[in-house]
Amino acid sequence: MSEPTMRSPLHSFGLEEQAKPIDGSCGVWANEIPHLGYISLRGNGTDPAFVTAASTSLGVSLPLRPCTFASSNGITILWLSPDEWMIVCPRAQLSALLGSLRHALTDVRSQVVDNSGGYTQVIIEGPNALDVLQHVSVYDFAGLEPGRVVGTTFGKSSVYAFRQGEGYRVVIRRSFADYIWRYLVRAAVPYGLGIADLAGSRVTEEGVPA
Amino acid sequence: MFVLFCPHCGEKREEEEFGYGGEAFIPRPATPEALDDEAWGDYLFMRKNPKGWHWEMWSHNTGCRKFFVVKRNTATNAIAGSWTLAEGRKAYDAEGGST
Ligand SMILES: [Zn+2]
Repeated sequence: MSEPTMRSPLHSFGLEEQAKPIDGSCGVWANEIPHLGYISLRGNGTDPAFVTAASTSLGVSLPLRPCTFASSNGITILWLSPDEWMIVCPRAQLSALLGSLRHALTDVRSQVVDNSGGYTQVIIEGPNALDVLQHVSVYDFAGLEPGRVVGTTFGKSSVYAFRQGEGYRVVIRRSFADYIWRYLVRAAVPYGLGIADLAGSRVTEEGVPA
Repeated sequence: MFVLFCPHCGEKREEEEFGYGGEAFIPRPATPEALDDEAWGDYLFMRKNPKGWHWEMWSHNTGCRKFFVVKRNTATNAIAGSWTLAEGRKAYDAEGGST
């Protein structure tokens, strides 16, 4: 038997082979940032014991204001609801983070679940990135300020979307990844879609802006 | 199509982000086993269905996935407000519990 391997849900699109450095030739540039770690953290956001324990163990203050996120040391924490956060981290840090979170929250009513197999992330940038997002979602992305994250529609599916660096990030469910990528490709036709070479550019292989 | 204010996200969002949760504040019978079929059937299936103001639940399906309370006019889709379940309960009771 062969060893199990990690395969991104967008593997079959061969994005890596098509990737090229971002230039002026396309209105929209996109690519997947595969194999990140995703931790679902649940607890009472009004309980100081929970907030302190989680923030200290992550090294980032848990964002408590609705629809905001916090980033530090390569870790991004998305506010999803008053009692739920999504922690996005480099895969290499995943097990250490899970361990320290679980340890810190041992005596606090909470839940820490490794959801890394359930999600992937797509970066969308370029001069027409906003136009494409306005096509695919009911949310008015023109009003999405930096630092804010929204759970909204993407075609018939749903995503968590936020602005980071030059463009937008959308966190998508593995089971909808194929649908969402095809939808994105279709929506970008009027502007030209380039597959962005993320390696060696602003985004490191861990998906963290350099 | 209309927009709803989600009290958890603190933002107005398109109706498409939400799911309808039906009439709000239906009291669950304290002793279900003591009810006859008609009373149990009323609890399960019978709803107000007014033309006019209606207290109802919505769930923010694509966002925070929480339920909340909306007072909506079923004839005009005018919305009087939206609240968390706890805050909505106070507003509902303050108004006499029904319309
Ligand atoms: Zn919400």
